[in-house]
Amino acid sequence: MTDELRQAMAALGAGAPHASSTNPGATSDLSIDEALLLHSIGWEPVDLVFGVGWWSIPWGAFQTWQAGEVTAASDAFGGAMREASEQLRHESARAGGAGVVGVEIDISVHSHHVDVTLTGTAVRRIGEKPSGDEFLSDLSARDFSLLIRAGWMPRGLVAGASFVIAPRRSARQWAAQKGQNVELPNLTEALYLARERAMDSMQQMGLGLHADGVVNVKLREGPLGHNPRIIQFVAVGTAVKLADSGHRSVEPMMVVPLDDPVLAFEAASLRAKPGS
Amino acid sequence: MPPSDLPEAATERLGHGAWSSALSVPDFASTLALGLEPVGFVQGYCVMQWSWYQQGTTAPFLGGYGQPVANAGSYSEVYRCPHGMVSAEHRTFGYNWEQDWLETSWAQGWGLAYQRMMEEAEASGAHGVIGVLDAAAPLAGSSTIEYSIRGTAVVVPDSPRPSRIFSTFLSGARLAKLIEAGYTPVSVVAAMSSVQMIGYCITRYQMSGQANMGWLGSVAGVSSIAQVGKAQSAARHLARAKVRAQLGSDSLHGAHLDQSTREFGEGDMAIQCVIKGTRVRRFKDFNPLPHPTTVVPLR
Repeated sequence: MTDELRQAMAALGAGAPHASSTNPGATSDLSIDEALLLHSIGWEPVDLVFGVGWWSIPWGAFQTWQAGEVTAASDAFGGAMREASEQLRHESARAGGAGVVGVEIDISVHSHHVDVTLTGTAVRRIGEKPSGDEFLSDLSARDFSLLIRAGWMPRGLVAGASFVIAPRRSARQWAAQKGQNVELPNLTEALYLARERAMDSMQQMGLGLHADGVVNVKLREGPLGHNPRIIQFVAVGTAVKLADSGHRSVEPMMVVPLDDPVLAFEAASLRAKPGS
Repeated sequence: MPPSDLPEAATERLGHGAWSSALSVPDFASTLALGLEPVGFVQGYCVMQWSWYQQGTTAPFLGGYGQPVANAGSYSEVYRCPHGMVSAEHRTFGYNWEQDWLETSWAQGWGLAYQRMMEEAEASGAHGVIGVLDAAAPLAGSSTIEYSIRGTAVVVPDSPRPSRIFSTFLSGARLAKLIEAGYTPVSVVAAMSSVQMIGYCITRYQMSGQANMGWLGSVAGVSSIAQVGKAQSAARHLARAKVRAQLGSDSLHGAHLDQSTREFGEGDMAIQCVIKGTRVRRFKDFNPLPHPTTVVPLR
């Protein structure tokens, strides 16, 4: 290791990188572990890339007494996600990437607009020219390398969102349920409606990308910040497709880790308690 | 590097006595195993005045009047209202523009703090500084920013000092892996971009949900808020370009992006984006890792 360190110090005096550098000027937000794992499967980072989509929701969409799905908000989410994804693909292609991994997804829903920001690292196979069919994936470089080793390829980011205004209970229902810990079907049904719409949108996006399935699905569900009667359900994941070579078992090895946390002895417990 | 402006007491402290370091015990052990020895916990500080407005300009765009204040060569865009004269309050124009006086101020404050830390490292005879941490936060009220940068100065025993000492955000095992993979750290790099956006009528209507009315020109209902999207993208692209300009033919490793948006009116916002990371240089052929073993821990 010391020899390598000395070589590294000597290289600091030289202005140019070593001849084996395939992508000088690359920027990436990957950790060194992730960069090494990518290299182990023959891929390399190319550039840090971004995509932004801000879409408007018209007044009255959320500000209504009428129960049911707020389609304007779901459409705005879809539009913002699509716009941000297109930008990310475009940036990846311009940088010479074959796709983007580790996409960080930042979604915020306000009364009158939905904001989506995507940030990731464009990657490509070392020494290969990208085919022009860029993929997006929120899988970390570690998960991406495992996916590739298992014979699968990411196709794209897929997402669905639905916002449902829960119906109010009638005065009679309210009176009958008062003081009882019973299910509130109006809220449960609103949650189920939002769930179905969001999951269906996500699945349809996956089918549109000719994917076999979606992995790493993350859900955000619950009341919307500015109005607790609006139930939001957002699902985001990475659509994947089995490569022509078929599935390869990675055959994981079972291990018993010997680094379990030690039960700490609390020395302070020996002190006499005040007043005892 | 310019002549050292280290305080005399600091020069004396660094000159003798026990060394200090900010390394955790595991990082300390890894650093020693790598062949580096800590020589001192080095720091640099700079406090700058912070004003959102450029000297010599007035608060612009009230009621749709005023001139953009972007300087030559900086990013700027103008958006024109499709309605014509409606009223004095109507936003006839919208502007996105790069606030390069803020970017220069940030670069100056951060750069001075960094330079002071590196001067301390040079004074202690170091080859480089590892485990760098930086921060920028108001010190006394909202119109001051304190830039602080700190790290552990290290030496490579029995090795000649490079002409420019290195710095890196990495330390311990991560630094060892970087070097083993064939990269040497060159320096920490950071850049800030600032874009201000004053929304024109369409952007204001879109941001306040009023874009579904018939007379609003080319947008209606659910639609992309183009001006905001452009401003948000521009802030990121500018920061990336500024960081790239510091790389030469080297690469940026472990980039960290920190973006914040301050809304100061309906459809008006200031967007700030900081990107930082370690500039690295390949010094030997890549030594590929064997395929990692997949394990299932039986906890």
